[in-house]
Amino acid sequence: MERTKEFHHYLIGFALATILTIIPFTLVATVGGAFSYAILVVCAILQLIVHLRFFLHLSYKGQQKEDLQLVMFTGFILLIMIGGSIWVLGSLYSRM
Amino acid sequence: MSDSTTESLHPGLNLGEEHGDDHLEAETSVFGFWVFMMSDLVTFGMFFAVFASSLGALAGGPGPKELFSLGSVAIQTAFLLTSSLTSGMAVLSLKQNHAGGKESRKQLVFWLLLTVLLGCGFLYREVADFIDMAANDGAPTRSGYLSALWALVGLHGIHVTGGIIWCLVIVGGVLVQGVNKGWKLTILRWAVFWHFLDIVWIAIFSFVFLGGLL
Repeated sequence: MERTKEFHHYLIGFALATILTIIPFTLVATVGGAFSYAILVVCAILQLIVHLRFFLHLSYKGQQKEDLQLVMFTGFILLIMIGGSIWVLGSLYSRM
Repeated sequence: MSDSTTESLHPGLNLGEEHGDDHLEAETSVFGFWVFMMSDLVTFGMFFAVFASSLGALAGGPGPKELFSLGSVAIQTAFLLTSSLTSGMAVLSLKQNHAGGKESRKQLVFWLLLTVLLGCGFLYREVADFIDMAANDGAPTRSGYLSALWALVGLHGIHVTGGIIWCLVIVGGVLVQGVNKGWKLTILRWAVFWHFLDIVWIAIFSFVFLGGLL
């Protein structure tokens, strides 16, 4: 029982990830523009969550919770470092 | 086993109660690997930051619209995404392998090799694209943008190559020594690594390739 459930879990994740991949590719191929870029960002974030949830099985329950906290803390560090770098260098660039 | 509430505490990249002591050790060992994986993510993050701040540094060289092909990126994405699923199937058959049957070991090896094959398909397309880029005035020495691009995408490619070699070593080990505790824990860590590479690829295809083509 548990095995079939886990198998379905992977399949759901794969289906969602496929949809979230096809949407941005189609938009870039057909529509383009700033609107597509916004959708692209949303799809990328959603697909990231799908992968973490359905493939890496992170959740708020059990031992997975510690893994999730680790990932979220790293995400926070990355936000500071990437966001900060782009901010500082972008500001420098606009002054030159 | 009949108590599904205790079992569902251990879904995913884990072994499950039937594996006995191996299962308990898997928890700490996989968590330790997660710590490494996250430090690797920070490395990727900094490569992304460098890439993002080099977007304007074309130095008169070719930009994303001249260099990228949407179709090729789509094929690479399909390869890598499918390989993520097959690596998940490998972990599932490992979890069923607690009795140590020959049949389930065959299944495990099948999924591992299928993942390797898909990974090679991905690498083949990626290397072909790199060669095309270099031929179209897109060598890494051409501009700051191209240096950052080759470094970021190349770093991911090297990781995929490493993941493939690692997987082949696992297949060899499992065939020679059987699915023992050491290999079980190694497969779990490799699976975290492989899924992680697909996650990094989401960011690469979204922001480097699709973002560049917009």
